[in-house]
Formats: sequence, structure tokens, C-alpha cells
Amino acid sequence: MAIVNRAEGRAYLTPLVGFLLFFLGFPAAVNLVYSISTVSFETLRSPSLSGLGNYAAVLADREFWGAVSFSMRFGVLTALAECLIGLFLAVFLTPLLAKRSYLMAPLMLPLMVAPAMIGLMYRLVLHEFAGPVPYYLFEWFGDSPAFLDVDNAFRTLLVVEILQWTPFAFLLFYMAYAAIPLEVREAASLDGASALKALWWIELPLMLPTLVIAFFIRFIDGFRVFDNVYALTGSGAGGSTTSLSIYIYQAFFKGGAIGKAVAASVVLFLASLAVLYGLNWITGRGRR
Amino acid sequence: MLNLLRWFVFSIAVLAMNFPVIVTMITSFKSARELSLNPGFWIGEPTLENYTRVLGETDRFNIYGYLFNSTIASLIGTGLAIALAFPAAYAIARSEAGKRTLLPLIINLRAVPLIIFAIPLYMMYQWLGLLDTQLGLGLILTIVNTPLALVILVNAISEVPSELDEAAKMDGASSWQVMLMIIRPVVRPALVTTFIFGFITAWNEFLFGLMLTTSRAVPMTVGASFFFAASGGGVQWGTASAVMVLGALPPALLGLLMYRQISASLTAGAVKG
Repeated sequence: MAIVNRAEGRAYLTPLVGFLLFFLGFPAAVNLVYSISTVSFETLRSPSLSGLGNYAAVLADREFWGAVSFSMRFGVLTALAECLIGLFLAVFLTPLLAKRSYLMAPLMLPLMVAPAMIGLMYRLVLHEFAGPVPYYLFEWFGDSPAFLDVDNAFRTLLVVEILQWTPFAFLLFYMAYAAIPLEVREAASLDGASALKALWWIELPLMLPTLVIAFFIRFIDGFRVFDNVYALTGSGAGGSTTSLSIYIYQAFFKGGAIGKAVAASVVLFLASLAVLYGLNWITGRGRR
Repeated sequence: MLNLLRWFVFSIAVLAMNFPVIVTMITSFKSARELSLNPGFWIGEPTLENYTRVLGETDRFNIYGYLFNSTIASLIGTGLAIALAFPAAYAIARSEAGKRTLLPLIINLRAVPLIIFAIPLYMMYQWLGLLDTQLGLGLILTIVNTPLALVILVNAISEVPSELDEAAKMDGASSWQVMLMIIRPVVRPALVTTFIFGFITAWNEFLFGLMLTTSRAVPMTVGASFFFAASGGGVQWGTASAVMVLGALPPALLGLLMYRQISASLTAGAVKG
């Protein structure tokens, strides 16, 4: 016998569902209508349907594909680096952290600071007169690169994102590593497996679901990046650091191109659905 | 020997990952004169003048206003998310309702880039008069917080033995009473974690603060960037640093106090979600 009957269950769910329908369902519908309409700030309430023109305009826009490429590369590279460094730290530091859990606190601190704030902080860190990094590079090597110019901005942003979010991957792996049953480890060492072999053949396969999930979460977050990039470089010199989120923001607020911005939103929505579907498919298979 | 290497790696990792925060803290204790001579890690003459200026001169940029806006909007965004998610989580954990479609749908919401809803929401807010209000920002933060709140609470309630509910029902309690008087006290730790985590997330949100507020309801993350908008003499790095330290302090303190609970719920949210 269910403790909450069906009617009661529905009643408890209603406020949440209503709220989400109002704040997400309605906007999603507006997105769809506007994306196939000719619309400007003057004709917001009476958009006239115009077919797929907005989508064609977006898909023909070189800046859009530049933004897709930026987001894609940014998402894959940051997720990869964060997972690799995080995995190394989790495995290597576990003997240190297991006995002293307070050491986790400084490792987790970056996760508590707003990405936008981190972006602003790097403006100081990398500033040619006030920043310590160029200062010491000049002191020691007599030269310092322009971290935020067209050639280097992408790499700089990669480092900024990776340093802030590696702790997230680390944390997931640390927990997964600690959750491996003691008997498994003992059995491995009884069979004469070296620590490295046990890691490669036994522990990593056990952690595989977590690895996949962490990669996807970090990929999605990297793909939709906005805050730190916007705070540090904006769209960048010549649009070199325009992520897809920044593209949509710029098209709407700077360009007033509502139809285009909305069509790009729908494209992004479909893309994220595809990624989610892929993730569910992979983890679903893994569990079976 | 190996242990020494571990300490070394740990120290490098902590320094590298917290590097911007450390630099900003150092800079916030330097006078403008010292900073122009010495941008390095050493503070020659520590001074509090940046903090007294930020907290004292409030005519152009009012940091109290930003802190206040962030606090109110985050409280709305966290409180409302819990108020909506808690009954829903109870229903999902204790009946079949919502388990099949609603829960996965809301969990997946976390992976959807919320910017795709930003433009219609902006227009909707214009009609409703919610632009540049703390309530408007708080309602968006509710959406941001709802998925993880729901996951944490469903997990927590599922772990409560249902005999507890059944015993209370035998005594004639309605399910509403069971939820509020039996379940709520038992899962209080999860509620606290949800609140802390939601508050940090809400405080650190930037995109919607940037889009939906202009002056009266500007949150701290957006307000901090105002101090970087160079006006005439360029950025006052000492002042800007003090602003960032003050703005990052509330979530950082909460996080450091509660890092154990937060790491547990982060992983629960990721793995079970």
C-alpha cells in the first residue's frame, strides 16, 4: 500500500510543476514561435510567422559556427583536462586525505567562488602593471606574453576554467575511489597484483561510470560557459572568445536580433537534448 | 618519501587552484602607491584603506546594496525551491507519482543551458514588471536550484524507513501531517545542506543577474564588475580587490563551514542524477 495515494501525490507535485511550466514551459513555447517569426522590439506582441528564415540566417552566420566551434573545443578540452588531473589527484592524494579530511576544504574552495568573480580576479592576476604573473615573468625572463590577445585568449581561458573546476572532478573521483570495497582491494593484493596493475585493471573499471558522468557534466558546463569568459574577455578580440552562450547574449542585447538569438537558442536546446540522450544511453548500458 | 611527494603535490594543487583568490586577497591589503611599485606576492605596508573606502564611500557604488540584493534574491531562490521541491520529493519517494517522467525531466534540466530561456523570460519580465527586482531575480534562482534540491530531498526521504509513516498513519495522521511532522524533522540535515548549497549557487549566479537587473536589484557578482568599468583613471585595483573579497566571502565561509555535507550532496546529485 502506497503511503501517499495517487491523488495526494499529484497534489504535492502540482506547485512545482505549475511553477516550472510557467517559468520554463511558457518561455520555451515563446522561443519556438519567435524562432519562426519576423520579430523586433516594436512588434513583440504581434510576431508575423515567416517560416524558417531565422534558422537559415543562424546557420549561414559564420560567427555562429565560430561560437559552436569555440564551445565545442572549450567543453571537450576542459572536461578532459579536469578529469585527468582530478583523477590523478584523487588516486595520488587519497592516502593523505583519508586521515585528514580537513585538507579537503582548501581543495574545494574554488567551487565556492562565483565563476564571474574568478574571471574578474584574473583580470587583476594577468594585468600588465598590477598583476603578479606578468610582473614575475618580466623579473625572471624579461618578457611576458599578452595573455588575453587573439592568439592566447583561448588557452588562458582554458587554464582559468580548468583550475576552477578540477576540484569538482576530483571530488567525484575521490568519493568513487573511497567507495571501492576493501575486499576487492585485498583480493587484488593477495593475487599479487601491483598497485599500478590493481589501479588499471580493477579500480579504474569500477570507477568508469563516475568517470563518464564527470566528463559529461564538465563537458556540458564547459560547452555553455558564460560567466568567467564574459567577465575576463567578453567576446574577445575579433570575437575570438565568443562561446555559444555569449553569441546568444550578444545577438539579443547588443544586436537586437531577436529572431536570430531565439533560433540559436532552439538549436542549442536541441543540441543539449542530443547530448543528454547520449549520456542516458551510455550510463543506461553501463548499468545493465 | 612518497608521502613527502604527496604533500608537495597537494600544496601545488591548492596554490594553483586558489591562485586568483590568493592574489586578490594580497592586493586588497596594498595601497595604490605600493601596488604601482610592487605587484608581487609580498605586502610591504599592509593597509586597510581599500576596505574603509569600499565600506565608507557609497555614493557611486553601493556595496551594501549589492550584498543586500544578493542576500534577498538568494534567500527567495533557495527558500522557494525547497518549499516547492520538498512536497514533490515526498510524493515521489512515497508514491508512484512523478517517478517515471517528472523526476528524470527535472534532473536533466540541470544540463540544459538556461540561457535558452533567457530571452523569453526577459520579455515576460518586462510585461510583468519583474525586471530589476529582487523578487524577479529570486524566482529565476528558484529554477536554478530546483533540480539539485529535488534530487537531494528524494534521496534523503527514500532513506527514511516507511514504517515510520505507516505508524503515524495508523494513529490517524494525514499524509500532509506525516510529511511536516515526521519526515521534515528526520530529513532536517538534508534540508540544511540543500539550503546551504542552494544559497551558494544562487549567490554565485551571474548570467540572469546581468540580464534581468540594471540598478535597483543588482546582485554582488554583477556589481563587482562595475568596479572594473574603467572610469578616467583606470581600474582602482586595490578597491576592486577589496570588493571581490567581500563579495566572495559569504559563500566561501558557508562552503568552508559545510564542506563535508556539500561534497556528499554534490556527489549524490551527480551520480544518482
